[in-house]
Amino acid sequence: MKAKEGVLDVLYKVVTLELTAVHHYLLHASMCGNWGYERLQHEFHEHMTEETTHVSKVIDHVLYLEGEPDVQKLGAVSSGQGVQELFNADLKLEQDDVKLLREAIAHCAKVGDFTTRHLLEEMVVDSEEHVDWFETQLRTIKQVGLENYLGEQIKKDS
Amino acid sequence: MKAKEGILDQLGTILTAELTAVHQYLLHAELCRHWGYERLAEKFQHLYTEEVTHSGQLVRHMLYLGGQPDVGSLEAVRDGRSVKDLFETNLAFEQEDVEMLRKAIAHAAKVGDFTTRQKLEEMVVDSEEHVDYFERQLATIAQVGLTGYLAEQIKS
Repeated sequence: MKAKEGVLDVLYKVVTLELTAVHHYLLHASMCGNWGYERLQHEFHEHMTEETTHVSKVIDHVLYLEGEPDVQKLGAVSSGQGVQELFNADLKLEQDDVKLLREAIAHCAKVGDFTTRHLLEEMVVDSEEHVDWFETQLRTIKQVGLENYLGEQIKKDS
Repeated sequence: MKAKEGILDQLGTILTAELTAVHQYLLHAELCRHWGYERLAEKFQHLYTEEVTHSGQLVRHMLYLGGQPDVGSLEAVRDGRSVKDLFETNLAFEQEDVEMLRKAIAHAAKVGDFTTRQKLEEMVVDSEEHVDYFERQLATIAQVGLTGYLAEQIKS
């Protein structure tokens, strides 16, 4: 089925952002593992898996709409010297993701492509959960102090 | 622990190749799904999951060796217009990967980094399994014909 106007363009941007997020979380998972924070390593790994699922779904949908998905492009992957920096970088990434998805959702509604809109809405729910998660971690750090927070990240919950 | 000479460079090159493989197999999984070949889509999904695991292991090992892994670079992701195209492309890709890993393994042995060598050897075992898989699919296609082969890829 041929895509309505502008839908493929927004979907291509979403693919690039989601792929960048996969790389982000892959790196951050390993960094947390290297620092001894198994719980955070696991959490970042889960995030990475979710983003991979998102990418697959979007690529599948782009192909259905007779597009040509570009998996070559990547955005900048940010890093950090400590967990708090990683969280700040990831919060920004997810906020950018939510903004992009909202613009895409609005566009799809405007041109009458409700299936693509529905797919993107499912994704923005996940992205907002990620925003919430990072905001929560940063808030907890403020309340209990960084050392106490990090002490709780050593053991993965069973 | 600080890396021995040349190790981090080699690992960086391999990481770029493995990340490229993730993107490639992710794309090829969806192409196969789009063409109606669920069995192949699942196989490619399994392949990219393996490559994600390799990438994670490499990043972790590079951090342990005091390196700064670059997860932002990619080689050219190869596409295809048909299943046979994808197999030929991926066979060439995996053969290059095996060569690269073999060079890195030889270098790691030469400088006495046997832990890195061991990890790379585990990866080259997987890569050679992938070479074997693609060679086998192409051999089967040559024997039963493309349409006969593809009809078996519809149901997983």
